[in-house]
Amino acid sequence: MAVTAIIQDADLDLLEKYLAEAAGPDKDFFANDFTVIDVGNLPPDRVIADWPALVSLFKAYRLNPVSVRYAPPTMEEAILASGLGLDIIARQPKIPAPVAPTIVAPPIPAQPTPPTAPDPMIIDTPVRSGQRIYAHNSDLIVTAIVNAGAEIIADGNIHVYAPLRGRALAGASGNAAARIFASSMEAELVSIAGIYSMFETAPTTAMKGRPTQVRLVGNTLDIRVIGADS
Amino acid sequence: MAKVIVVTSGKGGVGKTTTSASFASGLALRGFKTVVIDFDVGLRNLDLIMGCERRVVYDLINTVNGEATLNQALIKDKHCSNLFVLPASQTRDKDALTEAGVEKVLKDLIEMGFDYIICDSPAGIERGAVMALTFADEAIIVTNPEISSVRDSDRILGIIQAKSRRAQDGFEPVKEHLLVTRYSPKRVVDGEMLSYEDVQEILRIPLLGIIPESESVLHASNQGNPAIHLDGTDVSEAYKDVVSRFLGEEVPLRFSAYDKPSFFKRLLGGK
Repeated sequence: MAVTAIIQDADLDLLEKYLAEAAGPDKDFFANDFTVIDVGNLPPDRVIADWPALVSLFKAYRLNPVSVRYAPPTMEEAILASGLGLDIIARQPKIPAPVAPTIVAPPIPAQPTPPTAPDPMIIDTPVRSGQRIYAHNSDLIVTAIVNAGAEIIADGNIHVYAPLRGRALAGASGNAAARIFASSMEAELVSIAGIYSMFETAPTTAMKGRPTQVRLVGNTLDIRVIGADS
Repeated sequence: MAKVIVVTSGKGGVGKTTTSASFASGLALRGFKTVVIDFDVGLRNLDLIMGCERRVVYDLINTVNGEATLNQALIKDKHCSNLFVLPASQTRDKDALTEAGVEKVLKDLIEMGFDYIICDSPAGIERGAVMALTFADEAIIVTNPEISSVRDSDRILGIIQAKSRRAQDGFEPVKEHLLVTRYSPKRVVDGEMLSYEDVQEILRIPLLGIIPESESVLHASNQGNPAIHLDGTDVSEAYKDVVSRFLGEEVPLRFSAYDKPSFFKRLLGGK
């Protein structure tokens, strides 16, 4: 997963405070996510001088900084020297430099951008006991086994193209239309938008080895083998 | 290039130390310069299994802290001249292991020209176990054919994926091997035990070998003699197969099927 860190102030102590707040008590909260450092909101008079210190601060919170976005040209040398890359796609500063107000162009109505669905998160390795994977604002697709004791969570739908034996929670931020699909349903628990069902007595024998889907109908979960009665 | 191999399991009592001792001995018998390190700081069992407990002067923690050199702490094995043991400390606990210290010890061992560095992990998923696996290139996951051992192995595999240096630095992931120990084909047939196929179906990593359940392991351990040296026994043969397979040789899987004793064998009182 990747995160963007929007830096508002060049003060590293303040930054550490925010990181500690964001990570909470869980030391592995960020699981070494790739991180883009966005300095576009930094006031022009504040300059980050010590990039290595910034990088090690991020690393201490299990974030893995890879590049810097919206960096002014004056900072570029120091950024590259610290081993980070420059995000050249977003090289232009967000706030354009003030130009002489000669002609005031009429405001161009913003082009409606076609709605794009966020890319799903795709996991190709087994999800093991004790691991937790969260697809923020997107679907989660797992092509390997999800073992008992593992937890997979998505704000969108969940697809598992292997036995699902752990816990699966779709629509985690309240999307009641989210669904869970598994090619062999052997889950410990499934949940959609907070409505959950546990399989204590393994009613899964009918679903074991067969593609199954879970959806929310009213206030109950409808769990059935795909293609059984359609 | 030296390889660091962690022998780990999550669960205790499944045969990590037995495996570490026999696997390291097997590599040494094949001519590789090998060292086996006991990471179970505070408990210290490996030196007993290797039969060198009376020769422990300095230990892993002494070398981590720089109180002794590796040459002082390494104990030469009594069977193989190219096998060395780095024992754990019994008077300290696992907090004495620092990541930087462990990294330095491993680096120094690599510079001393060792081919294989075997890290015998303690049980659990806490500091000692994490330190043992942090710098591993390959991992041998020791699992008994029962459900709680398999679950714990699954957990430790997840930790290897998350916390090993290779994972953290984005290098090629740690190569994982499954070793099913204390296997009893008869109890599998009787439905009392998971089969190795069941274990593999859950863990989904390549099988390195099967070690049959055997009384000779206990006997060998008590005598401070790694089981691989018990020539002619199933356990010794199984560990030799494991070493061969690890070195890339094709070896058929033995000790996995149950042969019902024949009528005459039973009549003659054979096992």
